[in-house]
Amino acid sequence: MYMYNLAWIVPLLPLISFVLLVAFGNRLKERAAYLGIFFILGSFVLSTIIFTQKYLQKGEDYLFTFRWFRAGDSDYGIAGGSIFNLGFEVTELNALMLFVVTAISLAVFVYSIGYMRGDERLPVFYSYLSLFAFSMLGLVISPNLFQAFICWELVGATSFLLIGFYFYKESAKVAAKKAFLVTRLADLGILIGILLLFWQVGSFEYRDIFAAVEGGALAPWFITLTAILIFIGAAGKSGQFPFHVWLPDAMEGPTPVSALIHAATMVAAGVYLVARLFPLFAASTVALLVVAIVGAFTAIFAATIALTQNDIKRVLAYSTVSQLGYMMLALGSLGYIAGVFHLFTHAFFKALLFLAAGSVIHAVGTQNIKEMGGIGSQMKLTRAVFLIGALAISGFPLLSGFFSKDQILMAAYGSGNTFLFWMSLLTAVLTAFYMFRLYFLTFGGKVRTAISAHESPRSMTIPMAVLAFFAVFAGYIEFFGFGEWITAGGTIAQEISGPVWIMIGSIAVALLGIGLAWYVYGRDADATLAKAPKPAPLYKLLYNKYYVDELYDTAIVKPYTLFGKFLILFDKYVIEGMVQLAVHISVGLGRFGARLQSGQIQAYMLVTVLGIATLLISLAVRGLFN
Amino acid sequence: MTGEYIAFFIFAFMSITGAVLVINLTRVIHMVLAMGLTFLGVAGLFLILNAEFLAFVQVLIYAGAITIMMALGVMMTNQHHEKQVRRRWHSFFAFVGAVTIGGTVFYGIYKTPWVCNPSGFDENNILTIGERMFTEYVVPFEIASVLLLVALIGAVLIAKREGDQ
Amino acid sequence: MVPLSAYLAVAAILFTIGVFGVLFKRNSIIVLLSIELMLNAANINLVAFSKFGIYPDTAGQIFSLFVIAVAAVEAAVGLAILILYFRNRGTININEMDIMKR
Repeated sequence: MYMYNLAWIVPLLPLISFVLLVAFGNRLKERAAYLGIFFILGSFVLSTIIFTQKYLQKGEDYLFTFRWFRAGDSDYGIAGGSIFNLGFEVTELNALMLFVVTAISLAVFVYSIGYMRGDERLPVFYSYLSLFAFSMLGLVISPNLFQAFICWELVGATSFLLIGFYFYKESAKVAAKKAFLVTRLADLGILIGILLLFWQVGSFEYRDIFAAVEGGALAPWFITLTAILIFIGAAGKSGQFPFHVWLPDAMEGPTPVSALIHAATMVAAGVYLVARLFPLFAASTVALLVVAIVGAFTAIFAATIALTQNDIKRVLAYSTVSQLGYMMLALGSLGYIAGVFHLFTHAFFKALLFLAAGSVIHAVGTQNIKEMGGIGSQMKLTRAVFLIGALAISGFPLLSGFFSKDQILMAAYGSGNTFLFWMSLLTAVLTAFYMFRLYFLTFGGKVRTAISAHESPRSMTIPMAVLAFFAVFAGYIEFFGFGEWITAGGTIAQEISGPVWIMIGSIAVALLGIGLAWYVYGRDADATLAKAPKPAPLYKLLYNKYYVDELYDTAIVKPYTLFGKFLILFDKYVIEGMVQLAVHISVGLGRFGARLQSGQIQAYMLVTVLGIATLLISLAVRGLFN
Repeated sequence: MTGEYIAFFIFAFMSITGAVLVINLTRVIHMVLAMGLTFLGVAGLFLILNAEFLAFVQVLIYAGAITIMMALGVMMTNQHHEKQVRRRWHSFFAFVGAVTIGGTVFYGIYKTPWVCNPSGFDENNILTIGERMFTEYVVPFEIASVLLLVALIGAVLIAKREGDQ
Repeated sequence: MVPLSAYLAVAAILFTIGVFGVLFKRNSIIVLLSIELMLNAANINLVAFSKFGIYPDTAGQIFSLFVIAVAAVEAAVGLAILILYFRNRGTININEMDIMKR
């Protein structure tokens, strides 16, 4: 008894939760959390069932659509030739995403009970989280680009709400605006891409688009163009260069938000979309190359910046950007399986890392790792799970990250982009290094902070432990036929098999990175910090994020603001001026008219005489005197 | 050059001179006197036009009563301060308007081909007027007398000092 | 024989000067006087036409008599009002009589 036809309930439950929380949240106060958790638990259970059922029965997708409104007809009739359809479908990719999103959401929901305790806007927080869950899940089960775009924008809007949750902080407001504006700018690409596709294909449905691609109905340059445009939008959401600037600033939001949105779900939406439209991308080698290059570049770019950051959340943010670059690299190298696999594992260990960081911040009160240190002994569980996460992301053997990263490297090597392959290998070293720098500075050494750290409450530690479990064991899904399963829908993918030395190489670089970090920071963190040299130019460059933000500010923001100011002046003087002109004319006419009625008798008589004169002249001219 | 012409020119000249002086003299009492001159000139014109009765009435009423009345009025409303307010626009337009009226009338006069039948009015003018006045125009005559009465009473009432009976 | 147009011309000139006086003089008494001037010009016209017109008729002269009567009446009443005004306001400068603007 398959439950695919109930998949629409999965996004619906968080939506109901949102409505209820908005209506009754104020009255529930602290208990609002339990309401949110109740509904998301229901979603999780249902999506687990669907996932396991789909895993055992691959190949047949379930689709259900209905017409939303009619506005013209299309040749492709899913629901009677209509264009604007809504619905849902259950494919292998969808089922996987449903499981991941609901699992992480559940973990974050439970975690937030402890983290956000005492915040008087707790019901609001849970309502935003529920709305976000709804939009992300809606995006994931969309059967067509139309519904996907609606949910895409909803995801952006809810992330804006969540990033700017501490709206009384100026930095949070600015960060929320920045996130929304940058992703909105990137969304221009995806919108144009969707419109172009619709123009040529005549339908928004994924099926119809893939059929058109395979049938050769679209010109090659057209496929390349639309694929790149859609990738621009995906790059914005996933924080790829040059749209990465919003992600680090988005750390202004509460840490559970960072875990949910910027580790596991929203940023994965870009990767998900590229994966979902893989047949479109696969049909154009140029597009694939663009995706791979951007991904690889972003990976190493973000990794270098992460080396120098001192804010624990920012290091993790750049790490996210870097890992997403890895996924894009994989997809661009036709490594569909590798990319999706890494998406799966990354969600778990990155969320874990963020939650652990949140636990530390909650206990210590600061986010600057230079002010932490030596708290490992007081926060044993947090330290343990953080270590697990760090090992996973570094690709330590037998943990989940190892398997997925290995596949990415093999895909990169196998696709012939050898330069990118070496770049990603280097990135792996850097990843391990900065991750363990973070670990050692935070947990190792002597106590550098004034506040005594304490372990977090169980509401926070239990989700972390569960995620740690997944971070360790999620990779073993490979041995259960993950590769064949995920491509069972007929997606083109490369064979994941490469020379053995790649696997050895990846282990080696991971250990190299960890070892270096231990050498510099692990043995005696305080000494290293003490003899920090004056910042070299390279260090400054990295610390200031390659000055990309400043570049954007001068090149884009300032001219645009200037233009806006010019428009304000234009409005004030030209348009207002015209209105004022009308006013002045009326007033002037009125004043002039008022002067006519001066009370001067001779003026009145003058008017009479002039009138008579005019009459006489007109009579004379008319010739009545003749 | 008959005597008629000479007389006409003299009387026309008198009238026009008086009128121009009214406009251009400085003191009000002089202006009133110049007006009297005009009235006399007009009376002369009436004479040439064989309207003797009218000429005498004109001298009696206009040059006599009205001129004296205006002179008395001037004496009673003697203003000492003379404010010179230059009203350029106003005087310009007044000049223009007046000249236009005059000009068009002139134009009309000299364009129209008048038919001149010099009639004989040598008979007794006054007799004719008297007869017609009391037969055809007796009603306007009576109304005019009522009007004069009303004006008399009205003027007295208006200009009475307050507090008097 | 003086032509008709000569008399009419004289009357026109007097009328014009009268109009200018009404419009331009500051003293109200002179304004009244200018009105009398205009009436006189009209009288000249009437009498001239009564002699030279198409059907010469004494009716013109009779009409002039009435005009003179009414003019006298009007001058008298006008002067009475002016004197009253002068008593109340102290001025007969026509520019200062502007209560009508309200």
